[in-house]
Amino acid sequence: MSTSLLQIDDLKVQFKTGEGVVPSVNGVTFSVNEGETVAVVGESGCGKSITSLSILGLVPSPGEISGGTIKFGGKDLLKIKKRELRKLRGNDISMIFQEPMTSLNPVFSIGNQIGEVLRLHQKLDKKQALNKAVEMLDLVGIPDAEKVVSRFPHQLSGGMRQRVMIAMALACNPKLLIADEPTTALDVTIQAQILELIKKLKTDFNTGVIMITHDLGVVAEVADRVVVMYAGEVVEEAPVNELFANPKHPYTKGLLSSIPNVDQVVEELGTIEGSVPNPLNLPKGCKFNPRCPLATERCRKESPVLEEVGPAHQKRCFNV
Amino acid sequence: MTQVKEKKKTLLKVTGLKKHFPVTKGFIKKETIPLKAVDGIDLEIFEGETLGIVGESGCGKSTTGQMMLGLLPPTEGTVTFEGKDLTSLSKEELRRLRKDLQVIFQDPFSSLNPRMTIEQLIGEPLKIHGVMQGKQLRNEVIRLLKTVGLGEHHLKRHPHEFSGGQRQRIGIARALALKPKIIICDEPVSALDVSIQAQILNLLRKLQKEFKLTYVFIAHGLPAVRHISDRVAVMYLGKVVEVADRDSLFEKPIHPYTEALLSAIPIPDPTKRKEHKLLEGDLPNPSNPPSGCRFHTRCPYAQEVCKMKDPELTEYHEGHKAACHFPLQQ
Repeated sequence: MSTSLLQIDDLKVQFKTGEGVVPSVNGVTFSVNEGETVAVVGESGCGKSITSLSILGLVPSPGEISGGTIKFGGKDLLKIKKRELRKLRGNDISMIFQEPMTSLNPVFSIGNQIGEVLRLHQKLDKKQALNKAVEMLDLVGIPDAEKVVSRFPHQLSGGMRQRVMIAMALACNPKLLIADEPTTALDVTIQAQILELIKKLKTDFNTGVIMITHDLGVVAEVADRVVVMYAGEVVEEAPVNELFANPKHPYTKGLLSSIPNVDQVVEELGTIEGSVPNPLNLPKGCKFNPRCPLATERCRKESPVLEEVGPAHQKRCFNV
Repeated sequence: MTQVKEKKKTLLKVTGLKKHFPVTKGFIKKETIPLKAVDGIDLEIFEGETLGIVGESGCGKSTTGQMMLGLLPPTEGTVTFEGKDLTSLSKEELRRLRKDLQVIFQDPFSSLNPRMTIEQLIGEPLKIHGVMQGKQLRNEVIRLLKTVGLGEHHLKRHPHEFSGGQRQRIGIARALALKPKIIICDEPVSALDVSIQAQILNLLRKLQKEFKLTYVFIAHGLPAVRHISDRVAVMYLGKVVEVADRDSLFEKPIHPYTEALLSAIPIPDPTKRKEHKLLEGDLPNPSNPPSGCRFHTRCPYAQEVCKMKDPELTEYHEGHKAACHFPLQQ
């Protein structure tokens, strides 16, 4: 049994806006073990990115964490001092973002940016840091690493930049890597290269990975366990094979049937009626009830809780 | 299936189509290098079918779409729609022809004017072409809204009041307004959430059956392309490398690039995890494409001849063409 690396309990994040309070994350609970890849899936606005930003204390204003705990290595990340958190960020926990162009500083060379992490956290001098940067670039499969270290972000392609981001995230050998839609902005052939790289991390360094994505193909490819989110809540959680073979929540079922498959052509795709609810005006009862084919009177009044349906399989629904 | 297709009439045809954009380089000593976005493609689109065009960013698929619409004049080559060459028409003639050629864009957020109501937006093409006005126009707009799954109560609203999927429906209603013969769909679902993508794909198919539309479906998402297309063309660096009917392309690809693209798609089934045939490296710079076959720098099967000679698009089976010196199946 592998040990638990990160434990998120009943996390609540809200945004106070002029139009009212938006409960972006509403009681999210899940954990990540060492060497395990957990995929967090959901559509835009379901709170998956905000959940991951909370782990690093990066929730943008006017958002604030209003409840819950995030335990990492015995410490509650929401309670520790800023200075301590800064020591963890980039060192024990690091993050890759969707858009590699905006996450790199255009005026510093690649080597300088990767080296910065190492100089800060591992107290390497400039030369050592640069050597380590070359080594990292090599590791993520960048050809001609010695030359690339002295280049600037605009001289690299999207796939290369994402590799640089990964090299930077891995420089200090983190225990936990958070990847927020790491391949969404990339072409399929490059996506396959990056996914292969993330899979390798798991086996080579026993890194725990949180993979945030909306692409169920990517989930099937890399995840060990899947957390499905809808309107700020976890609606289902299961091991990857179980989730794809035996989805319980109607939202998960809807998502799975709505993806066109390259292997089989169907006449008509399954759909989920309507669209994601306005977060300022969430429906009463189960948040999915207006779009749910199984909704009953009870769903419109009471909110279901997350309950066990099988080994490590949980769902938030009355009717299954 | 193939026999029915033979009887089909060609609606749109592009021959030797090229588009070179001038790119200025250098600060003191300026020089202009052509960026060959599209570099000599031939395609035929038959009446009532959906032709999918796939490829990675920068392969020229959107530029091709714009030239098919007459929105962008080609550097060389012709676009023929029902026997008329778009490139030789006057502005006025082209404007009249646009009734038959419509487009749906990727981003439903930036393609709708935020200051116009839905009624104005959908009515605009009908007004411009002087098809109808007044009460009749309003009724037609209502009918169009209903066709795309919206309703009369949406008439007076503005684009910001709608979700991405609904906006895409408005874009589709606008494209349908003039009863076009062909609609170029440029990445119509890439900006949408998964559950909404399925709604739009289903809607496009329903409309095609109802109005006997012809689509050109430009996308980088292969699963969506397989779902909606009858035939598929694969582009790489401004050239068509393979074109075939959907099933033979996805099941028996001839070009190594098509094979690699297919292998790279993550399959939404964790029991079918596979070893990907990974392509090395990135897309080369289109202003300085590799010599010979443009794919040779990344091709696992490349040999000497590929560096020297550019392969011709050759027909291997009925309607299945590919441009490769070492085709995968014969």
